[in-house]
Amino acid sequence: MVFLFPELNIFEEIALIIGIILTLIGVFCDVIGSIGMVRFPNFFVRLHAATVGTIGGAVYPLFGVTLMSLALNYLGVIRYFIATGAFLTAIAIVLTAPVGSHALARAAHRSKTVPVEPKVCDFLREDERLIEE
Amino acid sequence: MTLESFISTFIVALLPAFLISLSLYAIRVIKGPSITDMVLAIDCVTYDLCFLMGLLSILFKIGFLMVAALALALWAYVLDVYVAKYLEAREVGD
Repeated sequence: MVFLFPELNIFEEIALIIGIILTLIGVFCDVIGSIGMVRFPNFFVRLHAATVGTIGGAVYPLFGVTLMSLALNYLGVIRYFIATGAFLTAIAIVLTAPVGSHALARAAHRSKTVPVEPKVCDFLREDERLIEE
Repeated sequence: MTLESFISTFIVALLPAFLISLSLYAIRVIKGPSITDMVLAIDCVTYDLCFLMGLLSILFKIGFLMVAALALALWAYVLDVYVAKYLEAREVGD
């Protein structure tokens, strides 16, 4: 095994490489999600771009930042601050971002602010009409 | 190339991608047709900023930036839920 950096041991080097790969995946997903957010035609289609931008673009790279900062031993004690904060932020995002986007989509459909424009059928609206009658 | 200069070069080389993605999200924030589009784009900007703060805390060696990132992530969730509640019931509630 050839060490790329002689000041790290084998576990720190593996964690550093996995963290760098996850960070690169995160930046790629950020750019893809932002392009989709501009170019998609409809709000309900843009939810998909938002998912790419949050889960792929924030949760994976925050786990990557956790691993990367645990490997960098020149940071001293600060690396434990960064690793704990990044891990807690990733857990908070993965729990709250789907809830927020689902609530937003439900409110947009029920309050009729966004027209469901290219559609074949809308079972949710038909169910609401049945409940009203 | 030492480890510290490699990590600094890696993080600085990633910053133009953040510039591109944040400006594309800002287009959708400004010209979004409905209020939910704007809120969705603001969410994406906020979660993107959390990731950027994680990288900057490694670059500048400041540990307390991640506390601000945690507060930002929870603030975006609160914005989502309040806007959804207002659109659905026309009141924010207690």
